[in-house]
Amino acid sequence: MAPTPISSLSQSPRLSRFSKIGFALGVIALVGALGWNYFSVPSSAQWSDEERRLIASLSLDQLPPVPADPSNAKADDPSAAELGHALYFDTRLSTTGTVACATCHKPELMFTDGLKLAVGTSIGDRHTPSLVGLSYSPWFYWDGRKDSQWAQALAPLEAKHEHATTRSDLALLIKSDANYASLYEAAFGSLPKFEIPAKASPLGDDSERAAWQSLSDEEQQSISIIFANIGKALAAYQRKLLPGRARFDNYAERMLRDESAKVSQGDLLSPAELQGLRLFIGKAMCVTCHNGPLFTNHEFHNTGVLANPGELPSMARYDGIRTARLDPFNCLGEFSDADNAECTELRFARDTNDLVGAHKTPTLRNVDLTAPYMHGGQIADLAAVMRHYNEAPTSMLSHNEAKPLGLRPPELRALEAFMHTLTAPLATDPRWLKAP
Amino acid sequence: MKSPSLLSRKIYVTCTLFVTALLSLFAGISAAKEADLSGATGGISLEVFSRLSPIEINTIHSWEIVLSDANGPISGATLEIVGGMPEHNHGMPTQPQITEELAPGRYLLEGVRFHMPGLWRMTASISTTKTQGRPPSVVVIDFTL
Repeated sequence: MAPTPISSLSQSPRLSRFSKIGFALGVIALVGALGWNYFSVPSSAQWSDEERRLIASLSLDQLPPVPADPSNAKADDPSAAELGHALYFDTRLSTTGTVACATCHKPELMFTDGLKLAVGTSIGDRHTPSLVGLSYSPWFYWDGRKDSQWAQALAPLEAKHEHATTRSDLALLIKSDANYASLYEAAFGSLPKFEIPAKASPLGDDSERAAWQSLSDEEQQSISIIFANIGKALAAYQRKLLPGRARFDNYAERMLRDESAKVSQGDLLSPAELQGLRLFIGKAMCVTCHNGPLFTNHEFHNTGVLANPGELPSMARYDGIRTARLDPFNCLGEFSDADNAECTELRFARDTNDLVGAHKTPTLRNVDLTAPYMHGGQIADLAAVMRHYNEAPTSMLSHNEAKPLGLRPPELRALEAFMHTLTAPLATDPRWLKAP
Repeated sequence: MKSPSLLSRKIYVTCTLFVTALLSLFAGISAAKEADLSGATGGISLEVFSRLSPIEINTIHSWEIVLSDANGPISGATLEIVGGMPEHNHGMPTQPQITEELAPGRYLLEGVRFHMPGLWRMTASISTTKTQGRPPSVVVIDFTL
């Protein structure tokens, strides 16, 4: 049979109607899909007063000086900072001689490690957070189980999967290294005269605990004071690690100077980055937690991030605040330099059920250099982070505070583009960024 | 034409009013600092004088809370303050508490910190020596940070 000529197909009224409707529906679906995925709705060319206020509140120009830490009398002592600087990069602060603070908190990665989970003497169960600007936070660790930067610095030193050393070994190192002893005594006063034993700690294994128990109360106290002061020196050093002025800050400064509040300000930020900023402070509600010049409220929120496979979901801040209250190195403890009245964060911290599964809001400054993300490094890249918040999945424990956002793909890409405007070299003398 | 005496009286009254207004304006300025927040219920007035003024997010601070009624300051009251964000259905990051009565009717609230911009609601439950055995008086104050 001869093939039907095309002209005769088009002449069939029935086929013609179906094909036309089908074609039209196909075009509509295609345009709709392309629009949904790629078309950005043009937004207003002006910032509202509220938007201007929020942009100003995020600017680095609003960042006050590093707050005082009354629990650390040497927080701003130059000798303490020099000692902390040297200790920070010293792998002798570990049993294996391979792990320093800088092993996981690498200066070249904005004081993170680029790994899903931290690796000290063995693999840990938490993702390494950045230390930049952390001195502004009243709470430390993803679950807030430490209430000062110096108390935080102590825990990894004796943790088995991190430095795995003991406080007596650390005290011995300070005494035996002439440079350390000299900086230590300049900052904290005389070192004790008695012979400090090796491998003794109240938190160690059986033999380390037995060695600790064989010491007198005074000797234990002397060693713990040196240990606490090592933390105070490490904190004095970390207070130098401050974020630098990023493209966003330059934009905010210029836009706020301009009375007309025009959105476009030369070529400082691209249209996508500006759209991302508008979403960040508006529809995407990022600014509710990522607020202030460090883009964090230093608080704890459950945002439905699932535990890593094989791991139980963490109680997070609910347990963290209880641990902080029992910590002998907390603000109210005997090693703190603060009056009890000054320990307001610890004394008045909330400990209610809604903190189950709540982890600390991290800074977003330099966020594009600190992948992967979340407390267990669960989310590999920024695009996936945006999808996570857009979906707001059900939490494994308690409830997800975030709600689904209903943002379209171009909006998620715009938010991601805005994240790249927060990157800048640190506002820290480069000499602090490498071993002395 | 109006009589000169009527005119001079009018001028006198106007001047007096003007001077009185001016004096009360200066008196208002020189008086104690205005409350940062305030509310009232059933004849009890509550005023908040924040030691961090203006109140801002992410900084822990204290409030001085002044309670009074028609008879003056209310001393010896029990005050419980709970804060939260009604639009987000969550509380404050801290649990502020009254730790001291600084002067009659003037209470120190320690541990105040807000961690998000937006609408905040503070609810004060007040029990006074006069209201013993009855439910506490409740003052609700809404404000935006």
